[in-house]
This record gives sequence, structure tokens and C-alpha cells, in this order.
Amino acid sequence: MAKTDTAGRLLTTPIFKNNPIALQILGICSALAVTNSMQTSLVMGLAVIVVTAFSNMFVSLIRHHIPSSIRIIVQMTIIASLVIVVDQVLRAFAYGLSQQLSVFVGLIITNCIVMGRAEAYAMQNGPAMSFLDGIGNGLGYAFILLAVGFFRELLGSGSVFGFTVLPTVNDGGWYVPNGLMLLPPSAFFVIGLLIWAIRSFNPEQVEKNEFNITTNTKTTTEAA
Amino acid sequence: MGIRQLLDKAEPHFHKGGQYERFYALYEAVDTIFYTPPSVTSATSHVRDGIDLKRVMITVWLFTFPAMFFGMYNVGLQANVAIAQGFGDMGGWREAIVMALAGGHNPESIWANFILGATWFVPIYAVTFIVGGFWEVLFAIRRGHEVNEGFFVTSVLFALILPATVPLWQVALGITFGVVIGKEVFGGTGKNFLNPALTGRAFLYFAYPAQLSGDSVWVPADGYSGATALSTAAQGGVDQLVQQTPWINAFLGFIQGSVGETSTLLILLAGVALIWTRIASWRIIAGVFVGMVVTSTLFNLIGSDTNPMFALPWYWHLAIGGFAFGMVFMATDPVSASMTNTGKLIFGALIGFMTVLIRVANPAFPEGIMLAILFANLFAPLIDHFVVQANIKRRQKRLMPSRDEEVA
Amino acid sequence: MAANNSTRKTIIVALSLCVVCSVVVSTAAVALRPIQQQNQELDRKTNILQVANLLQPGQSIAQQFSEITPRVVNLETGEYADNVNPDTYNQLAAAQDPAQSRTLSGADPAGLGRLENYATVYLVGDPENPDEIILPVRGQGLWSLMLGYLALEGDGNTVVGLSYYSQGETPGLGGEVDNPRWKAQWPGKEIYPPGSMDPAIRLVKGGVSSSTPDAEYKVDALSGATLTSNGVTNMLQFWMGERGFANYLARFRDTSQGA
Repeated sequence: MAKTDTAGRLLTTPIFKNNPIALQILGICSALAVTNSMQTSLVMGLAVIVVTAFSNMFVSLIRHHIPSSIRIIVQMTIIASLVIVVDQVLRAFAYGLSQQLSVFVGLIITNCIVMGRAEAYAMQNGPAMSFLDGIGNGLGYAFILLAVGFFRELLGSGSVFGFTVLPTVNDGGWYVPNGLMLLPPSAFFVIGLLIWAIRSFNPEQVEKNEFNITTNTKTTTEAA
Repeated sequence: MGIRQLLDKAEPHFHKGGQYERFYALYEAVDTIFYTPPSVTSATSHVRDGIDLKRVMITVWLFTFPAMFFGMYNVGLQANVAIAQGFGDMGGWREAIVMALAGGHNPESIWANFILGATWFVPIYAVTFIVGGFWEVLFAIRRGHEVNEGFFVTSVLFALILPATVPLWQVALGITFGVVIGKEVFGGTGKNFLNPALTGRAFLYFAYPAQLSGDSVWVPADGYSGATALSTAAQGGVDQLVQQTPWINAFLGFIQGSVGETSTLLILLAGVALIWTRIASWRIIAGVFVGMVVTSTLFNLIGSDTNPMFALPWYWHLAIGGFAFGMVFMATDPVSASMTNTGKLIFGALIGFMTVLIRVANPAFPEGIMLAILFANLFAPLIDHFVVQANIKRRQKRLMPSRDEEVA
Repeated sequence: MAANNSTRKTIIVALSLCVVCSVVVSTAAVALRPIQQQNQELDRKTNILQVANLLQPGQSIAQQFSEITPRVVNLETGEYADNVNPDTYNQLAAAQDPAQSRTLSGADPAGLGRLENYATVYLVGDPENPDEIILPVRGQGLWSLMLGYLALEGDGNTVVGLSYYSQGETPGLGGEVDNPRWKAQWPGKEIYPPGSMDPAIRLVKGGVSSSTPDAEYKVDALSGATLTSNGVTNMLQFWMGERGFANYLARFRDTSQGA
């Protein structure tokens, strides 16, 4: 599988075809928590891209030396160190945003996407390819975050990236903001609808039915 | 047989190859309102009864009418009393209709009250019906389903649990969410695990709290603001509540609240009729009622110095905050409730318990019954699962000794 | 690969990984700490400037903040505590420290649990005769502990502004404490009735107009957010009361009345 991967495909497949959130349903919790504005979504997306890419690269670099008995712990340590570094950098250079993201930067450690890629891809492939794979999956994650963030911020606050698009009633405009969109559960609905939309374009992503319901009477009478 | 002939004449156009093939669902819906469906189950044993899903749903729909008409009267009454106290009317086209038909704001006149209420409720219901019906038919046509009369019930229940002054565009959004997210994404009627009407209401409640809750949304009179019985109780306790409204007024329905939920008496009568016609499950209703009584009595006994809701007795819980409406019309939704008999009792009791718990312990969401039913909806399949498993285990136990005897 | 799984190799890999990672992490933490602390400082100062209506966009925060003198006040006596350095004293941390705080016995309307002995106040202009006094306030709203600053004029009574820098109330309802339109009601309101140090300021339902009796002590409650509004009222009642800043503010009232 590693031989057939091209750099371009590594980067683009995870965005639509094999999206970590929309198809594999990984990394949902942070997607719920930080997507109430585009800005936090963007920073969170970037942070995950950096962490996934570098953790993939480092794991791949030392993959021939990792004893299989402690490989998960080794991956965790690398990921955790990277996350702490990213968190520290954010606190130093983007203080306001890191306050808004609060614990969720730290919780990238538990993001299944990072761990999943390290275990599933970086352990078998070279560092350069792993790095690209990390970026690709990070992009897939960031893409969903931004899409969710776009709808939540637009409908919930009437703005995009902090710029007012729909002037809200409280500020003298006409738009009545949808308060549900500012609450984390709304991300479930938005992600669900996004998955619906993506699968309508890519029907091969739809899982097979677990069981078939007998055909309804309308068709049986016609057949008779 | 005029209608039959007319329908028969039109029918071929809607079958495969006919010019209106795509609209079969619409034809089918009209046909089966008047006549029993042409296709009946032919396989294996099956109860055959004249009362099919459609008749069931229409019966429920009819039984909401007393509460609905009283609701319109009550909204008008509350508004006219407020206007008589010196608050302004809301103006606009509604005021023009009231003036044309009733001629004034006399709170003594049943007709004037009713018309004023109707000018608020009828548009809500119309929007619910048109928008919700649009989605219903769209999905039916796209998926080749039949249009389901469950929607009659969903629409009327949804309209009845809204405050009279809710903006109509919010009504449209709410029913859209209820029908599409609450029901159709899961495959339509029968596959939804949440009550669609309540899903829509909950969506609006969290999305637009300013228009759906608070003190000024219940009575359509300009500038009028008055707490609902439930929030009076939450803030001032039972004493203040009794001062504001005698219990019998709350029970009869002369209080503020969503349009159709105020009259506990009429709703309970509808409940009796629903149980008598065996449409609603008495087990669920009994479960909700007992759960509520036990939990509220428990809170009464525990008592609290800081939270006056602890002291609210069960008969007040019954009469305010739409409890009866939720118990009779919402909890008994056959699709989203538990299916097994024991499960229904547990399901009901869970609702009763959660309602009181939310009302008493959660300061932010006084509307306990709505959230409690949605919560219990989520648990309904699990409850059924355990009931079924328990049955299987019990029967296996019964089986075991006999096997031992055989061995012996 | 079998050699990888020997105990020796396992220990070596684990150890060296730990060493490398800890070096990386500690380097990042140590190297970036000064910048982070600066950020925190800047954030706090910006909040204070904001509530005092002194924030000028485009100007350096440090320069603007030079107008402001932090002082530490002993809440019990109302005296300045000169033995505590206002630049290093952390009031919120002190509230959690049993050595620097006490458990609130009796009524605890703001839901604090513990109250620190000292509080940092910020004086705008001449510290002896300030133009504005900025006081930290905090208290439970509906969901969260709301942290903010209340700015008063030099008379220790007239409100300049109230603003929260940290709160987690319901967006659109209680969260509207951050709405500039709601905050615009505060300037000019008064805390204490004449001749009394019993705070009269409160939020009331149903709107406040100039014809409302005692309108100078009343602010319109947040619509649809009774419990957050109660939280704001309780927090002001507490912090402006005897256990809060009343003793401290009394001195300003005396001097201003004497003048």
C-alpha cells in the first residue's frame, strides 16, 4: 500500500474520501468543543496538523527501533511532548486564542486521529510519507472543523472570522442569532448533516444495512 | 360512492408509468383518509382491525381539540385582561381581525377572547402544517414512502406547546427541525427514537430562549410581563404561587403558558378518552403520574431552606408547567415510548421522576416535562431490552428444573 | 525485529525517549515562560483598562497602564496593606490558600466559599486622590464563577463601568453581560444611598427609566436570565458590602464629603 501512495493522494484523500471525522468518526470531542467560532477552529486545526505531521514523522523515524511491547507508550510520549510544545507556543504567541481553546489543545493528546495515524501509517512507512500523511489527516480534521465553525459562527453569532455578516438584533440589526449553535451539542447536528451531504456525493461511503427489512406491500401488490 | 369513483379514476395516473407517478404518496394519502388501504398484510399471523395507524392518529388529533379550543380562549382571555389593565394591544393585522370580528377587547366576552386567541394560534398551526407537511411529502416522494398521518398529531402537538407570541419563522424552523432531524433522518415514522414535536420544541427552546421562555412571551399584550406558574413557584415558593393563582384556576387552565397545555382538566378528560379507546397506553400514563407523585413527595419530605421548589406538592406539579399535556399526549407516543408492558411502566416512571427532578434541582430549565420525555425516549429501547432479557431469563429458569428431572 | 523486543533494548529505547522528550518539553516551557507571563500581565491590564474606559486602541498597553497604580487593600480594615507587594500578589490564588483566606461563615450570597484577606485595587490618576477606583468582583452566576471588575469614580460611589473578563453563562441570555448595550446602562449609577454604606445597587426586572423610583440604584436585568441577574446583584451586594470593599470605600466618601 505504501508503494502506491503518491504525495498528492496522501494529502487529499483524507479531506473528502477518507475523512477522519466524517468517515472514521474520530476526534469528535474536540470538534464539539472548539468550533463555536472560525478562529478557534482554525487554530485548533493548525495545531492538530502540526502535531499529527510531526508525531507521524518522529514515530516513523524510529519505527525500526520501537519494541512492539511498548510501542503505544512510545507513541503517546512523542505525541504528548509535541502537544505540550504546541500548547506552550500558543500561550506565548497567541495568548487570547489559547485562553479560548483552554484545555482542548492539551487534549489533542487524546485525539484518536493522531494516535491512529501513528499506529496505522507511520509504523509502516517512511518519514517523508508519514509526514505528508499526518498533514493530510490534519487537513481533513481542520476542514471539518472549519466547516462546522463556519455554520456555528454564522448562525450563532452572525459573523465569520469575527466579521459581522448578519447584524444581530442585540446590536441593532435584523438577525436573531440561534443560541443552540453556540452550545456544543449543535456541532453534532452540523457534523451529522455534513456527513449526510458528503455521503450523498460519495455514495460508496454509506455502510451496508445491517439487516434488510422486507419489501413493503406496495411493491408486492404490484408484483402480484 | 362519488369519492371512490373519483379516486379510482385518478389512480392510474399515479401508478408506475402514469404521468403523476412521482406524486403517488400524495394520492395514497388522500385515498386512505377516506378508505382503508388497498394493500393488507398477507403473511403470517397478524391482527386485522378496522382501526389502522391512520385512524389512530386522527383520533388522537381530534382529542386534542378541547385543549386547543380552550387554549385559544385562554390566550385571548389573558391578553384581554392585561389590555383591560392598561397594557397596549399588539397591533398589526391580528388587531384588525380582532376589531372586525369581535369589535373590542372585552375580557368578559367569550367570543372576543376566542377570536383574539385564534388570531395567534391559527397562524402558528397553519405554518406548522404547511412547512411540516412540505417536508413530510418531500421525503415521502423521494423515498417512495406513504405520507403518514402521524404528522397530523405531530403538527398539532407541536403547535400547542408553543407560546402564543412565538415568531412564525421560528415555528417554521422548529417544525422543520422536528420533522427532518427528529424523524426523517432516521428513516421516517416508526424509526424515530425521539418524539418529533418535542424535538422541534427543544430545538427552539435552546436556539431562541428569549422568544420561547421567560415572562413576556405567553400573553400577547404589549409590554405585559408576568411569570408563569412554574417560575413563580421556583422563585417565590408555594405561598406566593397560591396567592397569585388558586389551584383550581391552574387546574382548569386559566393561567399563562403555552397555548394548549394550560387546562389540566380538559387534557385529563382527553386522556381518559384515549385510554378508553385503547389508543394511549394506561401503563405509561400511570407510570408518569406515579413517578411524579412519589418523587415530589420525596422532595417534600426532604425539604430545603434555599430552594422553594422542594416544597411544591404533587397536585401543583400536576396542574402547572404542561405536565398533564406531556403525560397524556407526548409520553404516550407509541413510536418513541417503550413497547413492552413492564417497560411502559418503567418508561413512564422515569419521565415522572425526571420531570420533578429537573423542575426542582435545575434552576435553568423549568420546563421539566419536555426534557424528561426526550430523556426517557433515549432510554426506551434500553428499557425494552432489559425487560425482554429478564423475561427470557425467567423462562429459562422455569425450563431448567424440568431438564434436571429428565436427567434424573 | 526480535532484537527490538529484548529487555535491554526496551529499556534503552524507553530511557532515551524520555530523556529526549523531557529536554524538548522543558526547553520549550522555560524558554517561553517570560513571553507567557508578559501575555498574562498584558491580558489583565487590558481588562482593567477596558472597564475603566481608558483603553485606546493602537497605543501601548504598558504606557496606558502607567496611569494606574495597583494597591493591596486589607478587606477587614479597609486599610492599604503595605507589607504585600501588589505586583506579585495573586488575589485569586490567595482565595484558595488557607493561610491567606477564611471560610465565609453565614450568608454567602456570591457563592464564593472562601474569602481572601487582601484584595488588589487599581487607582487611576493620583493614588492619593484617584479619578477612578477599579475593584475586582466575582461571584456565581447560573453556571459559572463570573470574574470581573467594577470601576467607580473618585467618590467611591458612582459607577464608571462593570465588565466581566471571564464567565460561562448561557450564550444569548446570561452571556449578554458582555453585551455593550447592556453594559452601557451602568455608567452614572450609584452604589450607596446618601449617608449609608449599605449597598443599594441591584438589577431589576422590567426595565428602568428615569421615572422609576430610585432609578440611580437600579439597572435593567438581563432579559430571560433571572439567575445570572441575581448572581450579578448578589455579587455586587457582597463586594460592596461590609465584608467586601465597604470599609475601604468609606474613606473616599468621607474625604469627598469633607471637601
